[in-house]
Amino acid sequence: MTESYSNSSGSPDRDTQSILESDRGPIVIQSKCPPGLFKNLQMDAGLGHFSHYSSIIQKLDSFDKFATRKDGRVSLAILQPNVIIGYCIGSYPEPNDRWSLLGGLMYELAALEISRNFRGINLAHKLLGQTMDDDFFEDKIAYMCGYSWHWDLEGKNLTAGQYRNMMKQLYGKFGFREVYTNEPNIALRPENIMMIRVGARVSNEDHLKFRSLRFGMKPK
Amino acid sequence: MLKDYPKAIITKDGTCVLLRPVVATDEAALNHFFSEIPADEQWFLREKLDEPETLHRWIQQLNYSRILPIVAVREDDGKIIANIRLHLHSAPCIHHVGHLRIMVHPDYRSQRLGSWMILDCIKIAMDMGLEKLIAEFVSGIEDAGINAAIKLDFKHEGVLKDYIKDKKGEYRDLIIMVRNLASDWSDF
Repeated sequence: MTESYSNSSGSPDRDTQSILESDRGPIVIQSKCPPGLFKNLQMDAGLGHFSHYSSIIQKLDSFDKFATRKDGRVSLAILQPNVIIGYCIGSYPEPNDRWSLLGGLMYELAALEISRNFRGINLAHKLLGQTMDDDFFEDKIAYMCGYSWHWDLEGKNLTAGQYRNMMKQLYGKFGFREVYTNEPNIALRPENIMMIRVGARVSNEDHLKFRSLRFGMKPK
Repeated sequence: MLKDYPKAIITKDGTCVLLRPVVATDEAALNHFFSEIPADEQWFLREKLDEPETLHRWIQQLNYSRILPIVAVREDDGKIIANIRLHLHSAPCIHHVGHLRIMVHPDYRSQRLGSWMILDCIKIAMDMGLEKLIAEFVSGIEDAGINAAIKLDFKHEGVLKDYIKDKKGEYRDLIIMVRNLASDWSDF
């Protein structure tokens, strides 16, 4: 597989698009997808509902919803011409989420998924890398929450511990590290994981507020 | 695997604590820690780390692939307030098993500190690919540890009756608890 960047006139911004050549044809990795881009696309059959696992996003409308949000980020891996085979979603936390108490400081990488039919070709790394390659994140504490009940253990043929390790290694390459919290969903299972990346311009004061909030102490 | 340390936690009373592996320069702080463990509890230490010479020998030979010792350190003054050791085995027949031993300073009990440290060890053990964690507790002495382990899904696996003798020469049971790590949660 090789990687090249599109720079033809009329194509999306060079900084937000790359192209992978694969055995099954070119795959475009497109970050910062704008609302309205999704209606002519279709989801690959490896993204969907399975016996022990369901994709977090199964409808194209959901991408539009995220892309429309303030600072919402949708990155897609598209098998040409129009099949979505992977995605990465980012947004501010929901208002009822503990992390929303810190306003615009916290930014969640809410989902990263690759179709069962296209795993093992480094797409998750490419999607995450292209999503994170943005100065926007230097003012944020970017975070991801990994819940074992969302993981495709059957499709990956991994135990929860092995899957957790895979997540740590993937996100670790982009500066994320595991932190502890008593947030009930994370705390429910030891294999669950919260990882954060603290942006270069985040103040120590904000970092400490976040640490307190991780253990249920609300900011004053 | 150790690159995520130090890991910050906050105890129930608001104390900021860092978890991190023991290093050789911790000798004095560990001596102080063990000296503040009540004598009745020091009695049950399998390795007499409350004796400075024993501790000195042990800390000079730190080998994380055999014993991974993690300490809880108060962020404000660096005082060690808890110690957990994950014992690993090189023999292939028990390479998949780790043993835990934990000691929390009396002033910091009932703060969930022990629970955080056991949880930390469970996560490390998962990352190492271990399949079982075993913790042994002296009945009637380490009941707080038993309760913390139960909350983290350790199960009673056995009791060695009258296995331990206390300082007065009276027998006590050894409770063996096991946490299976290789479970597949896909049906959760």
